[in-house]
Order: sequence, then C-alpha cells, then structure tokens
Amino acid sequence: MKRREFVKSVSRLAGLTVSTRLLGFYPLNRLTGYLLVPMDDTQSDHLKAYGLTYRVIGAGLKAEWLLNYHGGAFLLPDADSIRRDAALNGVRAEPVDGGRITAIRGEIEANNMDAVPLEKAPKVAVYAPPNAAPWDDAVTMALQYAGIPFTKIWDPEVLSGGLRDFDWLHLHHEDFTGQYSKFFLIYSGMPWLADMVQRNADTARRLGFATVPDLKKAVARGIHDYVANGGFLFAMCTATETIDLALAAHSVDIAATFADGTPMDPQADAKLDWSQTFAFTGARVEPNPLVATFSDIDGHQVNAGPRRQPLGAFKLFNFSAKIDPVPTMLVQDHRQSIPDFYGLTTSFLRTRLKPGVTVLADEEGAPWVKYVHGDLGKGTWTFFGGHDPEDPQHQIGDPPTDLSLHPHSPGYRLILNNVLFPAAKKRELKT
Amino acid sequence: MLRSLSAGIAALTLAATPALGQAIGQGFELERSGRHAEAAGVYVTTLRTDPANLPALLGLERVLPILNRLPELLPLVQRARERVPENGTLRALELRVYAGMNELDSLEAAARRWAGAAPRSDAPYREWALALADRRMVDEARRVLLLGRRTLGGGAATLAIELAELEQRVQNWEGAAREWGHAVAAAPDLLPNASSQLSETPLPQRSKVVAALTSPGAAPRTQRLAAEVLLGWGQATEAWRLLEQSIAVGPPSTETATALRRFADLAGGVATPAGHRVRGMALSRWADLVPSPLAERARAEAVRELLDGGDRVAARAALERLTADSLAPPEAKSMAEAALVGVLIADGQLDAAERRLAAESGVLGGDDRSTLRMQLARARVTRGELDRAAIVLSGDSSVAALAELGWIALYRGDLRGASDAFRAAGPYAGERAAATERTAMLALVQQIADDSLPELGAALLMLARGDSAGAVTALRRVASHLEPRGGRSDVLLLAGQVAARLPPPQDGTAIALFDEIVRAGGPGAAPPAAELEWARVLIRQGRAADAVQRLEHLILSYPGSAFVPEARRELERARGTIPRS
Repeated sequence: MKRREFVKSVSRLAGLTVSTRLLGFYPLNRLTGYLLVPMDDTQSDHLKAYGLTYRVIGAGLKAEWLLNYHGGAFLLPDADSIRRDAALNGVRAEPVDGGRITAIRGEIEANNMDAVPLEKAPKVAVYAPPNAAPWDDAVTMALQYAGIPFTKIWDPEVLSGGLRDFDWLHLHHEDFTGQYSKFFLIYSGMPWLADMVQRNADTARRLGFATVPDLKKAVARGIHDYVANGGFLFAMCTATETIDLALAAHSVDIAATFADGTPMDPQADAKLDWSQTFAFTGARVEPNPLVATFSDIDGHQVNAGPRRQPLGAFKLFNFSAKIDPVPTMLVQDHRQSIPDFYGLTTSFLRTRLKPGVTVLADEEGAPWVKYVHGDLGKGTWTFFGGHDPEDPQHQIGDPPTDLSLHPHSPGYRLILNNVLFPAAKKRELKT
Repeated sequence: MLRSLSAGIAALTLAATPALGQAIGQGFELERSGRHAEAAGVYVTTLRTDPANLPALLGLERVLPILNRLPELLPLVQRARERVPENGTLRALELRVYAGMNELDSLEAAARRWAGAAPRSDAPYREWALALADRRMVDEARRVLLLGRRTLGGGAATLAIELAELEQRVQNWEGAAREWGHAVAAAPDLLPNASSQLSETPLPQRSKVVAALTSPGAAPRTQRLAAEVLLGWGQATEAWRLLEQSIAVGPPSTETATALRRFADLAGGVATPAGHRVRGMALSRWADLVPSPLAERARAEAVRELLDGGDRVAARAALERLTADSLAPPEAKSMAEAALVGVLIADGQLDAAERRLAAESGVLGGDDRSTLRMQLARARVTRGELDRAAIVLSGDSSVAALAELGWIALYRGDLRGASDAFRAAGPYAGERAAATERTAMLALVQQIADDSLPELGAALLMLARGDSAGAVTALRRVASHLEPRGGRSDVLLLAGQVAARLPPPQDGTAIALFDEIVRAGGPGAAPPAAELEWARVLIRQGRAADAVQRLEHLILSYPGSAFVPEARRELERARGTIPRS
C-alpha cells in the first residue's frame, strides 16, 4: 500500500473506530474489582495498552499509572466492556482482587515506585499539513495503532487560537524555519515538494505574511504561547530544532534565498535571541542552503556528509518516582537501552541545551542527548530526536511502519508515555 | 564526481613534505570536528610556505563559505594559478570561487582566459558550466556548453555528457536522452552509464525519451540505448524489437555479440514471461556469433528461457538445432532432452513424453528424470488417468513420489491408503505449500471414520482437474452425509474456501458455508477458520464493518485458537489502523 493512501485511509477511519469503542464502555454492567495491565515483558501488546487506558479514562472512569511497577503497569477498573476491549486488542489484562491490590500498594510504597491517578483523557492535536507528505509521522501512527483519537490542525488553526481547544499538541517533521526541510534543492521537481511549496505559499499569502518563513515564525510563536498558557507540547525530529530556531530568529533572517527571496543574514548567529526558546541556546545556524541540516543543535547531522555521526543506543534515566513523577512517567519502559534512529534532527548536543532542561535519555559517552523535557510558563514540553523508532534509516518515500509488527516497541512507548502524561491528576505532579 | 576525482589526483601529485602533510592533517581534523576558523588558519599557514598546495586550497574552499569569508580565497587561488598556470584543478577552483562570490563577469573572463590557454580542452567549458549550474543558472550553463561544442568542433558528442546531466538536473528527460544518444553513438563504453541515468525517467516522460532515442536516422548504438532503457522499465518485447533493428544494420561484429550478451544479461532481471522470452531470443542470436561449446550452452539456456517465456514454438526450434548438433556437450544435450520432454508434457502429448522418458538412455540426470516423472504423473491425474499416473510413479521410492501416490489414493477414495502414504512421505516432502496442503488434507481425512469414501475422492479429483465450481457442489454433497463430528465441518470449510476463491458470484455460497460451520460450532479448528475466511470475503466485498463484527466474534469466542493472531491482524486492517502489506 502506498504511504499516501494509508495516511488518507487512517485519517478517515480514526474518529469512527475510536468513538465506537468509547461508546462500548457504557453502561458498565459489572464493576467489581480491578484489572492490572502489566507493562513488562509479559504484556502482549504494549502500544495498545496505552489506547485501552486512554479509552477507560475517556469514558469517565478512573485509572492509575503504577510507575516503575512491572514496567509502568496500569490499574483499570474491571468491567466486561473493558475486558472485551483488552481481548479484542490483544492486551494482557489480569483481574486482581482486593488482597492483591493491597499487596501491590505495599510494594509501591516500599520501593522507587508510585501510583499516579489518571483522570482526564487529554484532547490531542497533531500539527500536520492537510496534504500527505512523503514521510510518516511516528506519533500519528502510534495514536492510530493504539486507538487514541486526535485532530489534525495546521497553520490557520494555530494562528486563529484553535490550540486552546486541545490539551496536547504534537509536532513532527515540520520545518519552522520555512525552508521546506531544505529539500527544496535536493528534491527539486518532485510533485510532493511542489505541492508543499505551493500550499505553504498560498497559506502565507492568505494569512497576510510576506514569506513562508515569516508565517512559520508566527506559528512557532503561537505554539510557544500555547505552552506558556498551560499546554503540553511533544515534538520529534526536525520540529524540535526548527521551532527553537524560528523562535530565536524572530528578528533576523535565517532562511536561504530560495525560501524567502533574500539571503540569510551573514550575522544571524549573533542576532539570535535564545531567551525566547524552549530547549536550546547558543546554536550556530547552518549557512549552506544545499546542506539539509539546520544548525549545530543536532549531534548526528545525518545529511551533512562528513559530519554525519553513526547511530548507537540511548539509555533512559532512572528518576525518583515519588519525588519526580513527571520525568518518571515519561521514561516508563520495559527496556532501559534503546537502539537509536535517525531523523533530520536525530539528537541534541549537550552544549546547546539551556540550563534547567531535564535530560530523559542520552547516549553514554556521546556529546549528545536524545530525549529532553522542560517547563515553560504554565505548560511543559518534551523533545524526542529522530524520525521513526522502528525505522532507524527512514528514507523519504519509504513505506509506513506497520506497528502491528512492533507491538512491543520501546521507542514508540516513549511517545505514548507523553500522550498519557497530561492525563495525570495535576496535584500529584511534584515537579 | 569529476571535480572530486580531479581534486584527488591533484592532491596526490602535489603531495607536500612530511612536515607540511602533518600540518595540513591537523587542518582536516579541525574541519572534521567543526572548528572551521581554526582549520582555515592551518590551511592559510600551509599556503604561506607552499602557495600552490592544492589540498589546502580545497580545504579553504570548504570552510571559508561557512565562515562567510569566501572572498579571502580568491587572491590565494590566483597566486597559485600564476605559479602553475597549466593546472586545470586550480583553474576550475578559480571559476568556482568567482561563482561563489556571484561575480559572473569575472567568472566568464577567467573561463575564456583558460579556454584561450588550452584551446583543445573541454575542461574550461565544463567547469564554467558546472559553476553556473551549481548556482541554478541552467540556461546560462547550457549556453556555455553549446559554445564549447561549437568552439571545439568534434560534433554532437562534444560535451554531450555534461549537457545530458544538465538537462536531467532540470527534469528535461527528453533533452537528456538526446544528449546521451549523441554520447553513446560516439563512445559505446558510455552505454551502461547512459542507460542507468535514463532508467530514472519519470513515467509521464518515458515515451518522449524513447522517441528521442529512436528518431529517424538514430545511430544503431543509440537504438541499443533505447532498447536497454525500455528493458529496464520492463518493456521487454519492445526492447527486443529495437535491439533486433540495431543489430540488423551491417555485418555481425564483436560489438553486435557484446550487445546481445549484455541484453541477455539485463533481461535476466526482468522476471516476466516476456523477459524470459527476449532473453531466450538474445541468447539464441548470441549463440550464432560465438564458438562451440559456448554456443551450445547458450542455446540450451535459451531453450529454458523460451519455455519460461511461454514461447514453445521458438523453444522447439532451438531444441531441434541443439539435438541435431553433434558437437553439443553432454550437459547441453541433457538440458535439451529435459526441456523437450517438458514441452511435450505441457503440450499434452503425454504418451510421447512417456515414451521418450522410457527410451532415453543416460542423457537425463536423476533429478531431471524424477521431476519429469512427477510432472507426467500430475498431467495424467489432471486428465483423470489415475491408474496410468500410478504406473508412472511405480518404482520411485522418493518421498515426493509417496506424497503424489497419497493424492492418487485419495482421488480414488481410499482414505486409509492416502493417510498411510501422506504419513510415510512426512511433513517436509516437496515445496512448503504442497506440504502444508498435504498436512491439512491429512487432518481432514482423519476426522472421517470410513476407510473409503469414493464420493470425497471424486470431489477432490474434480478440484484437481480445475472444476472448482463442480467440486464445491460435490463437497457439499459429501458433507451432507457426514456426522457433525465426523469431518463434516472440515469438508464444508474446504468447499467454502474453494468457493471463496471463485469469481464474486460464488461469494454468497462461500458465506453460506462459513455461516453453517460457525453456527454448528464445536471444538475443532473449522469454526474459527471459517469465521476468519468469512471476514476476508466481507473485506474483499468492502463490508469492513461486517468483517469487524465477525473478527471480534472470533477473537472473543475462540481466544485460544491459533487463528486469533491472524484474526487480530485482519481486524487492524479492516479498521484501517495498519497499512495493507
């Protein structure tokens, strides 16, 4: 199946399949105990377990996330409809009685574990252009596979304040510097690129911006304000690096001539304002328009010829569950060490991180980190480098990853941790 | 690539003293670690003692643009060029620096100076055009190359490669084809590269490319290029037609033989009947141009290809030549004999094939003989000649023959004999699909209490002979006489599976059969298997919601069934949450 067809079909079916399943939880014809959804190696489908939990809280029921217990297990109310959902999705869910619950809580109390109540299913928005680009978005695929509903939004929605309707926003491959991922020269003549350029240019014109880079800077600012006002932002791949570059470049031209008709400011590095960014500081912008890389934030520089670094493995940090439940939630996984994967932005140089940024995963001995988190105003953001955790060398035009072949993907679990994290009851968060 | 190659050669020829080499090595290290300003410092220092040091100059070409200091390179390059005016790499570097500084008038002046100094060289025009093309000034680059062509003389082949690459860069595939045609006509060694480049032509422009290469008056070599390009796109028959035209011009030569061999090799990558056929044709023609025993081996290979391509007439012609050839080596004769018997079986001349198999003395190898006997037995079965099929296999104690004898017993209705033969053959004889089919049939037969059931044998023979619709009716009739726990569901499942593979009008029959099995339930594997097949039929009909219902029922009703993982995957597909694979 062509990737475009798949993206179209999932967009069509997403709402239908999920809403039908949500209705299945009403009425609860039996609510006698609990179901434990283990998330260690005994789980038969880790990714769908997140969807099951999401649907439980989406139906107005309460769930608990047992941090560091059996790989970050979920405790759900027991009901026929929930058992049915678990069985249909191949999720292992064990009924547990009162005695076992007491024992579990005792174990949690005595160890580096915690139980976090999950109460409200976050409303999820995915920032994506209306057309299908020739690459896949790992988060969209994870949401779709897990059965978590989402809404696609783009520049007009962001600029008209549409983000306030959502609790969680995901960014993936977008180039917020407005340079079309610098594919403009390499993929010149490709229909998808022509479509992308046309669509962005039309949108910029319609919304009153002189150039696409100007439009993207405004969108980056809108996303920044959304987080500052309490939103949750999760970004992967190019979006991590370029949104910070766009924010830092609010008063300077960092786009090449092909993008806005004027060359990049030769003094751009000196004029960048890093006080406006989420995660990074002090970076130097890539001046060569022919090199599809944006700055020296990315440690791997996948498209920069001799500067390209080989892939290793990244290791998740171990946090104190009772003191730091937020980072603990974000690193819940049944694997501590995960093979790395490339993206247009693969990793983040330590030297480019702002003070106060929490590193969630890094590659031991390497000058880069993989997974970072921080606060901004009333909200939080998480950046995860790389494109697709199960396709380390993902190339443009490759077929989409079939997640039913990777139901235990530790990399995709990190994405889904982020989706459930905003569901955690606020007062329980200590950081 | 030309640029980096020339730089590499120059780097070798201008190797500096060890101390200098160490210093510049530091520059490379600094550059690699992103410390561009420091690297530039090392390169400039190197040039102070060795002004024409090419690695240092090329290093500066890499790092100074990053530092926005490219203009600093110009005086250094000019000084080096004055010292070694005949060095083309330095001249080319000077052009690139002017281009990088956007000083196009100076670029042109420098290029013309170089052309004046080297009037027979195409390098000044090539480098000038490349510098312009790198700045996306395609029209200007084309103008320069055409100027070079006119100035240098030598016809359309001059600078044709550069023009082809330029046209390709702007997606003008027709123009690129024309230039590649000129280049190949002058230098046949360029054919592989040209063919590889043009193979990337997008679908909408392919017809224009072919037209450009086959225009009236096109050189035979250009036609050959068209043939190779078409072959790469899978248009084997058209490709062969063009190749034949190209080799018909003039007497056969070494180049003709090379072209035929190359075409045959390339056709080996086209796994279609037409691909096999044209490969066979090319090999046959090639065999006419090469000496023995190469020729006989090629003919034998050609026969096999022609047969795979379904061209029995041409295969027979080649076989006749081969069998009449007293010089043919034994392996070629063996291959020809095997192929001939295969042709006879495929043509339905079973008696003739049988006679030939019985009469041949030692030409055929053991494996070939066994394979042909199996083919013959199956052909007899397809005609309903079970006794004659069994005779063909008599005396063959191989597991494959035992398995085939099991089927023959089954078609006769001898369930016990079939079970014994299948067990004796074991689960691994033959291809994996055949082994799976045999095991499934053994599982079905074991459900039935009777040792003999001729009606079931007749129904299965009907299926083997291709009468699937008749087999469905016959299998349903057989099932109606079986006990619910005595194989009834399994026979109905088989009938349903056959019906489901018939054209759409039989979907109703298949669904009715699957419904009957699911309603009957029971402990066996048939109910979940039937429900899975049912869902697949519904998905094929576009009734995803109904399929989801069936699959959910299967998963929840038979959680321990081996079909559940497959059902869950179908469920994901029906919901559209995973890509179809």
